[in-house]
Amino acid sequence: MKKVNRRTFLSDSLLATAALSLPISTAANTKSLSSQETGPSYQDNGPYIIDTNVNLFDWPFRSLKYGKTQDLREKLKQHRITQAWAGNYEALFYKNIDAVNSRLVEECRKNGDGMFIPFGTVNLNWPDWEEDLRRCHEVYKMPGIRIYPLYQTFDMEHPEFPKLIEQLAKRDMILQIAVKMEDARHHHPIVHVRDINAEPLIDIMKKIPSAKVQLLHWNRHINGKLLERLVQETKVALDISRVEGSGAVGHLIEGEQWTRKSKPVPVERLFFGSHAPFFPVESSIIKLFEAPLTLDQILAIINNNARRFLRQG
Amino acid sequence: MNPQDFALDPSVFGIPNRQQLLEYRIWDSHYHGFLTSREPIEMHKRMMFYVERMGIERVIALDVGGTLKKPLSPSPYDEEILKMIKNNKDKLSAITPIDPGYPHESCDKMEEWIRNGPGIGIKYVGGNELGVTCDHPNSDRIIQLAAELGAVIYIHTWIKVGGSPRVPGKGNLSGESTPMDVAKLARRFPDVQMICGHAGGDWEMGVRAIRAHENVLLEFSGGDPNSGSVDFAVNELGADRIVWGGHGPSRSYATELSKVLDASITHSERMKIFGENYRKLAEDIFRKKSLPIKV
Repeated sequence: MKKVNRRTFLSDSLLATAALSLPISTAANTKSLSSQETGPSYQDNGPYIIDTNVNLFDWPFRSLKYGKTQDLREKLKQHRITQAWAGNYEALFYKNIDAVNSRLVEECRKNGDGMFIPFGTVNLNWPDWEEDLRRCHEVYKMPGIRIYPLYQTFDMEHPEFPKLIEQLAKRDMILQIAVKMEDARHHHPIVHVRDINAEPLIDIMKKIPSAKVQLLHWNRHINGKLLERLVQETKVALDISRVEGSGAVGHLIEGEQWTRKSKPVPVERLFFGSHAPFFPVESSIIKLFEAPLTLDQILAIINNNARRFLRQG
Repeated sequence: MNPQDFALDPSVFGIPNRQQLLEYRIWDSHYHGFLTSREPIEMHKRMMFYVERMGIERVIALDVGGTLKKPLSPSPYDEEILKMIKNNKDKLSAITPIDPGYPHESCDKMEEWIRNGPGIGIKYVGGNELGVTCDHPNSDRIIQLAAELGAVIYIHTWIKVGGSPRVPGKGNLSGESTPMDVAKLARRFPDVQMICGHAGGDWEMGVRAIRAHENVLLEFSGGDPNSGSVDFAVNELGADRIVWGGHGPSRSYATELSKVLDASITHSERMKIFGENYRKLAEDIFRKKSLPIKV
């Protein structure tokens, strides 16, 4: 394969570069976002990354190295990440969900420098979650929400989960499901999270084909037959933050896992996600090079797929 | 395809390119390319693509002369693996699993595989049938022989939360050592260096458990990459007490490299962690076996 450095990338990929260098507000139908949230002003001509999985504020169990928004923003910039879809760690435990969401919006506006797109949350076990969802959409102009079922104590078998997907689809909003957050073997002993079953998602998404659902940090929790069914029977999107194993992103695309053959996962389903600031952002970036991906595959994962997902409506 | 070909230069995204990785002189002290639960020879050949691609200078295989489940039973692939080690001295080394539940048999194996064979060290695997952790008196004989041979001592450790009431470490497998067990063993052998593997999984606990024992080194592979973990270990232990492992193919080199690249440390400290510290640890046995080594 021909080596492409930054200079040759620019000369060889003018069309791709032109598309990539469009401000997000032009390339995507982000009419519901404020100008601050539509994309950074410091883009230059070259491939940049949309990170679909970061969180702001404090991880409840440890002070994180890049836990301050400004520090995370600068760290992401160092790695050519110019847009990050941000959840809020406070969503894991807080009962006042609207306060969680409004603080997230304010933090993105105040300290994000246009980097972060806020993804608020709802908790189906808290009363009147529909109003929290309405505010996410109508008041805070969020393009989607993120749920954390392990901590929020509901899962995809919850009787109101189909209703949540239905309402999100009507509002043309994305649902991100954080399948896991950290290795359960190291949880604080007081934390005893339950297992979650993603299988109900298949039938729900089949009934609501316009639903836009992305699984975050899913690998080794959703695998094998369930993954194949999700990919084949739904349009679910997947981040790569927990895709694990030597060359694993390539193996997913090829359907040649270390332990078995599997149905290939189309590259269009794979989105860059770092799980920062809990994970080092370097982890997901190196995955793109450890696997011998083509230029088109890299560009799809780091940028094009997420842009397309955001503007679908 | 050629493992050295990249569609984009990784340095565009602020991470080292292959040449820069080569310059770190990375020794992967935790290589599972011969894991016998799968087809080990074929898997090793596949793994070499990634070893080459990520600029790894040497791999130290752990699944040679025994398996994780049966550390003292020869593997049907040993003969072929031995040939590979012999023919790839500049790239491939091996340590062999032992079982502290069977100290005599473990020492016999060390004689065969290390004194009279190509092995450079031993590995305490993650659990055993008799439930004997590394701090048991059975280990004294094993450690004394390892010290005499100059062998590298690697101890799998983890601190899994479990039990009722739940506490860290009570979820471990039978015979699976914790860093606290390593600390007890290290206290009895203050002049023998040993590696506390996987940082105990729960690195915040693992680092604390071993920090008082200067003869214990820490290795991080096998756990999720947690930002700030290597910073913490360097602050508590110093960069001289950390070695690096890749844990492929079940872990990606991306995961393991990122732990060190995330850390706010000097280039020289990164080089120590990526390979120099392990080379110092293994220098004695490499020289005894007339194996090429430049620390």
